[in-house]
Amino acid sequence: MKRLCVVLTVVALAALIVAPVPASAGQPPLLSTTELVENSYKWDGKTVSFKGEVLQDLMVRKDGTWMNLSDDNNTAMGVFVSKDVAMPVIAHVEDYRTVGDVVLITGVFHRVCVQHEGETDIHAVSVTVLTPGSPRENPIHIDRVVWFLVLACLLGLVMWFYYRKPARRIEH
Amino acid sequence: MVRRVWREDFRIIGYYTGLVTIGVGLLMLVPMMTSLVFREWASALDFAISVALTLLVGYVLALASRTRSTPGLTHAMVIAAGSWLVAMALSGVPYMLSGHMKSFLDACFDTMSGFTTTGMFLLQDLDHIAEGLNMWRHLLTYVGGQGIVVLALTFLIGSTGGAFKIMVGEGKEEKLEPNVRHIAVLIWRISLIYLGVGTVVLGLIAMANGIKPYLAFFHGAYIFMSAWSTGGFAPYSQNMLYYHSSAMDIASMVFFILGSFNFALHYAVWSGNRREILRNVEIVSFTITVLTTFSLVCLALMQRGVYPNAVALFRRGFFQLVSGHTTTGQSNIYARTFVREWGPLGMLATTIAMAIGASAASTGGGFKGLRMGIIVKGIATDIRKLLSPERAVVTGHYHHLRDNVISDGVVKSAAVIVVLYVLIYVVGAVVGMAYGYPMADALFESVSAGSNTGLSCGVTQAGMPTLLKIVYMLEMWMGRLEFLSVFTLFGFIATSVRSVRLRKVAA
Repeated sequence: MKRLCVVLTVVALAALIVAPVPASAGQPPLLSTTELVENSYKWDGKTVSFKGEVLQDLMVRKDGTWMNLSDDNNTAMGVFVSKDVAMPVIAHVEDYRTVGDVVLITGVFHRVCVQHEGETDIHAVSVTVLTPGSPRENPIHIDRVVWFLVLACLLGLVMWFYYRKPARRIEH
Repeated sequence: MVRRVWREDFRIIGYYTGLVTIGVGLLMLVPMMTSLVFREWASALDFAISVALTLLVGYVLALASRTRSTPGLTHAMVIAAGSWLVAMALSGVPYMLSGHMKSFLDACFDTMSGFTTTGMFLLQDLDHIAEGLNMWRHLLTYVGGQGIVVLALTFLIGSTGGAFKIMVGEGKEEKLEPNVRHIAVLIWRISLIYLGVGTVVLGLIAMANGIKPYLAFFHGAYIFMSAWSTGGFAPYSQNMLYYHSSAMDIASMVFFILGSFNFALHYAVWSGNRREILRNVEIVSFTITVLTTFSLVCLALMQRGVYPNAVALFRRGFFQLVSGHTTTGQSNIYARTFVREWGPLGMLATTIAMAIGASAASTGGGFKGLRMGIIVKGIATDIRKLLSPERAVVTGHYHHLRDNVISDGVVKSAAVIVVLYVLIYVVGAVVGMAYGYPMADALFESVSAGSNTGLSCGVTQAGMPTLLKIVYMLEMWMGRLEFLSVFTLFGFIATSVRSVRLRKVAA
């Protein structure tokens, strides 16, 4: 009986070690700007993960770097990376012709950051580039060139009439 | 008896509307050049199409209805209100071509918001738009603040007898100089000098904050145009949160407070009459209402423990409140923070501040401090009359550039406009509530649209009901033009229909 108990205990321990653990159990939850703002009190002071495209300016300050990460249509979050956190090379930042690097950060969310005068931000403890950025296509459509030419010709014609024709004097 | 409408009336309206449209077309050259400088070829082509189309419409209108007759008051009002609608539709073309709008109605919403210096937007993926389109957004709001008719007056219309009436129709009723063209030039001179100073100051701050030098001055110009015109746009979706900078917030706040002041006050100060700042009824009214509403905001935020210290409370609370009061709409908190953290009292205080708004003949909206001052002084005078002996002659005064006597007529005019503003605020709120938005949210958003503020608590989105978009657009338009010219336009359309019917009966 005693031996059976030992065997069962060993099996149970082995099962615990081998059993698949959900990836999120050890990882901070991956949250969006909307979730953080809508439930700011819930996540205040907690360690969270956040993924987003790096917007155009990496603003280097005395104590660290600010970057803004866009995670959806018209939503973005300010992330502060202090000087003692390793910052990977951000090769691409967003602009009209570029899709910025998508980075994953882990850090502490502040509903109202005391260090930054009440800002809603995340202080990163780790920053990883997930997807490198790439050039963004903004092709010129040939039909628009045709439209422009047609409109320009019409405009030229109307302007010629306008500046050629003397104004009529009309009694009111 | 309402007069009949004749063909010549249409000629006058068509001709001057055409000139204003030509002005808008020429203005589009600026974003087109910006796109060329930044080598955004597709965007530059979109603007080239828009320039050609707008100029074509303008020249066709001007050619088809060319006249030398000068506009009367009715024409002037119709031209002012009508020009804004034509400008709104044509200015939406580059938005639509950019592929960042879900519908043409959304594009018109954004241009109406820009011209009326409101600052709400439905543009999709703002963080990825071309520099040219960003320039256009901010230019719209800058020109809208001074008035698009003022722009056309300066460069195209000249000093005709009816020109001042058109300007009045656009809400610029202060006659600073005898010559109307001089007034328009003066307004532009003041605004352009500030633009230069503002761009440099904000550009340097942006650069010091880590923005790339070649972009810093564009950011400076955008934020200045947004602040001075009390517009509220910013180049990125986070608005002022993008900069993480108190210096940027403070400098912008200084410019939007200046922009919310009456042009006549700027002119008085520029002409050496500095004491006017201390005596002007609008400044007194503004100071009192800012202090009162900020006290309410502080109470709300402290009750709920939103901010941990006075610095954070001032940086967020005061900035948001003054941004609302001056009807600017720049924001350094997230839109939903109003609902989630500020709570009903904080939102109500901000709503009241937005409803009151800026100064008359400024770039701002709302009831205006002048009207608040007149109504309060009128009530005080009536109370003094009641308390005085029957034979006593009691007169009230208010100081606006000079000492003015408060008459029943002045108080009545001010009260009528205030009632009309309240009416559009309520209508917008009721429509919002009918679609299921909570009362506080619906009222906040409606007042923000009607007072041309642009702060949002999250209602304004591309997915919101179409009717609500139209109601907000009407609120922005009426609020900016202060009703008179819009009502005249409606009246003119009704009279035109009746005239046509009468002519048919006579035939």
